[in-house]
Amino acid sequence: MDVELTEILEALCQHPPFNEIADDPQLNDMTKEIEIRYVRSGEWVIAPSMPNNTLFFIRSGALEVLSKENKLIRRMNEGELFGYYSLLRGGKSSQSMRTIEDSLLYCIPARWFLKLYEENDIFSDFFELAREVRLRAAMESQNSDVSLMTCPVISLLRRPPISADIGSNIRTAAKIMTEHRVSSLLITDNDELIGIVTDRDLRTRAVAEGLDYDTSISEIMTRDPIIMDSGDYASEAVLKMMERNVHHIPIVKHGRPIGVVSTGDIIQKESHGSVYLISDIYKQTSIEGLKSISLKMTHTFTQLVFADANTQMIGNAMSHIGTAFAKRLLQLAEEKFGPPPVPYCFIALGSQAREEQTIKTDQDNALILSDKYNKKLHGDYFEALTDWVCRNLDECGYDLCSGDIMASNPRWRQPLSVWKDNFSEWIQKPKAEALLRLSIFFDLRGIYGDKNLAVQLNQHIRQQAKQHSGFLTDMARNANQRKPPLGFFRQFVLDGEGKQSRTFNLKERGIAPIIDIVRVHALACGSDKLNTLERIEDIEAAGLLQEGRAKDLAIALEMIGMVRIRNQKDQIEAEETPNNHVNPEHLSSLEKRNLRDAFHIVSRQQEFIKFRYAGKRS
Amino acid sequence: MSKLILKHPKEEQQDWQAMFSEWAEEAPEGPLKQYYQAGMIAPDTALEDTPLLALDLETTGLDPSQDEIISLGLIPLTNKTIRCQGAQYWMAKPERSLNAESVTIHEITHTELAEAPRLHAILDEILVALAHQVVVVHCVAIERQFLLEASMKIYGYPLYFPVLDTMDIERQATFKPWWKRFGKQPSLRLDACRQRYKLPRYKAHHALTDALSSAELLQAQISYHLDPTAEISNYWI
Repeated sequence: MDVELTEILEALCQHPPFNEIADDPQLNDMTKEIEIRYVRSGEWVIAPSMPNNTLFFIRSGALEVLSKENKLIRRMNEGELFGYYSLLRGGKSSQSMRTIEDSLLYCIPARWFLKLYEENDIFSDFFELAREVRLRAAMESQNSDVSLMTCPVISLLRRPPISADIGSNIRTAAKIMTEHRVSSLLITDNDELIGIVTDRDLRTRAVAEGLDYDTSISEIMTRDPIIMDSGDYASEAVLKMMERNVHHIPIVKHGRPIGVVSTGDIIQKESHGSVYLISDIYKQTSIEGLKSISLKMTHTFTQLVFADANTQMIGNAMSHIGTAFAKRLLQLAEEKFGPPPVPYCFIALGSQAREEQTIKTDQDNALILSDKYNKKLHGDYFEALTDWVCRNLDECGYDLCSGDIMASNPRWRQPLSVWKDNFSEWIQKPKAEALLRLSIFFDLRGIYGDKNLAVQLNQHIRQQAKQHSGFLTDMARNANQRKPPLGFFRQFVLDGEGKQSRTFNLKERGIAPIIDIVRVHALACGSDKLNTLERIEDIEAAGLLQEGRAKDLAIALEMIGMVRIRNQKDQIEAEETPNNHVNPEHLSSLEKRNLRDAFHIVSRQQEFIKFRYAGKRS
Repeated sequence: MSKLILKHPKEEQQDWQAMFSEWAEEAPEGPLKQYYQAGMIAPDTALEDTPLLALDLETTGLDPSQDEIISLGLIPLTNKTIRCQGAQYWMAKPERSLNAESVTIHEITHTELAEAPRLHAILDEILVALAHQVVVVHCVAIERQFLLEASMKIYGYPLYFPVLDTMDIERQATFKPWWKRFGKQPSLRLDACRQRYKLPRYKAHHALTDALSSAELLQAQISYHLDPTAEISNYWI
């Protein structure tokens, strides 16, 4: 007698990983050994410190997963599996599970789990693929809507290909590139593409090596370059560029080159609007003019969101716009108050320094003065200058900093040597609470004036930070202070009261913790980068993290950042003031799931830095 | 919430154990006699120690004297777990041909049934499965009557078995006197009952799925309304 428990098998096969292995004939046998339990809300399924030998499938209802310390780790609902961690660890369970709704559970015996895990790669992959990887896959599929995805690479071409024959020498090649104002040159042999030369090749392979200008171009070209077909999507070009770290890709049609796509072409496609806006900013001669442009900023922002630019592109564009406003105001201020009596550098702090601004930001800035500065002689000038600049930045939509971290505050307007002393003090005698307020200073970028001052200060900070491990311990502690709103699956861990009571703060609970984590690692490996993604690259290269973990952080940042940006776009469209609060009820289930995975990464990485930079100091 | 102890006063409670030994004497030699001889648990057995077997059958119609059993599903359980391992399912070829109406309900077709054995050939097996078990059904009247008719026809002697009726439990659990009731008494259909306990929706009218459905419903009902330590005689009918 062959009994088929169709209803149970079908329910299992609607969810991963069973949906992927629905054709495995063993499933029917497995189903026969399932036990079903109805568990009322509030009861333990795996009680704390109890062993477990069952894989549980939630047929209906919801559960919460608690850590050893009885802290909520996450919530699970219909279609999810649990208990497998302990099965893979020989039955030892470090987490406990309790129902939070009346639930119907299918209990699959351990031996079936282990059998399938051993015999079926798809099945074991599902459990092995960390949440991080699932997240990555989710991101890739989400990208399917992106405009670059739907636009063919050919639409990015701006001119016919510029090429030179293989017989040319370096000088001729450089001449052709200069004439046509291109940064790359295709090298052909009888009209057949055989290589490519870029500005960078001329610099690194020819000039730096001291090659004779008569050297054949074939000496420095990249042979058999990565090419793409005219029918390919632009997004694939982006992926290839990122993967292979190249900036130019020849496009061929029927085997013949028809043009070259560069990273610049892609950025231009994505941030068309912001480029115009920036050039407009520099043309303004009055505050009124600048104010009128600032009113267009929300439009530029929403345009970028509509164009499906990623958070990096948007952060970059918004930061450059912010920088352009500051620069133009400083230029106008120097016209008004006269040239500076001693060199100075206007520095951006925090998100603007990291080039990660969004639409709504306070101004965070400061001034580094040359050590020639004499308060008696020059104090008034810089007070007037910074007052005027900061006030007008406010007029242009960059609100005054609530913590008064602005160049207009004399405390944050100091000669280089004083800044260095300040940082030495902070680094050598760190107090976690004090650092929390000061962490903004550890992202510092010179945007106007003598930028060398900022470079020197940054060098000083990096040297000091590397030498004082106690400082990293305290920074790591800081980075752990803001916890992600984990466990928000059905009942969100929400912030605040009143108007904000149905929301949580994506910046505070997701983005800031990632930035903090990355900053600690970046300081530890002496990275001179400011942008979080660039820092992540350095961290990865330094081998500070396990393979893949650095990238996970980047993905989590992108995921949370994207939700934040879309939320801000929606707020703008609803004519509200954009902020960082998101109401989980307004998120799609995919967004919720991705956020949950992203927050999971954040908390794991927080755990990691706690151990990585554990110090003796209390 | 106070646990439900079913209505019967003590003297009306059935002692199935005693009745089984009587029937074991009377029943004709064969599988039915063996079934009764296997006996029944004592009436003071706790609900949580009671071996339960959820049962459902599909028939060609609703009249036990006219219509026939065409499939039967069984699944064992306790108050805590349902064990798929013991699940059993039979199809039986009816004497008369199926009418179109019933085919649309249970979706069992002529060809499937044409290959199935006659009911008398499988009833022996069913009795082995039923031995010593308290049966769980949703609406006792149908199952009990159809199996009794079949037994009369095949063995010439009635088949009786103790039952926990999830419909009856639900009726009592949801019962409110008329003065507290606004509107109608809630629906007692299996699916409607399940929804009250947030159990998932199943496709109805497959004997094994329906048996599973009432098994799950009983678990939910036990956790809400019944006292697992109470004697089974409080609940069985």
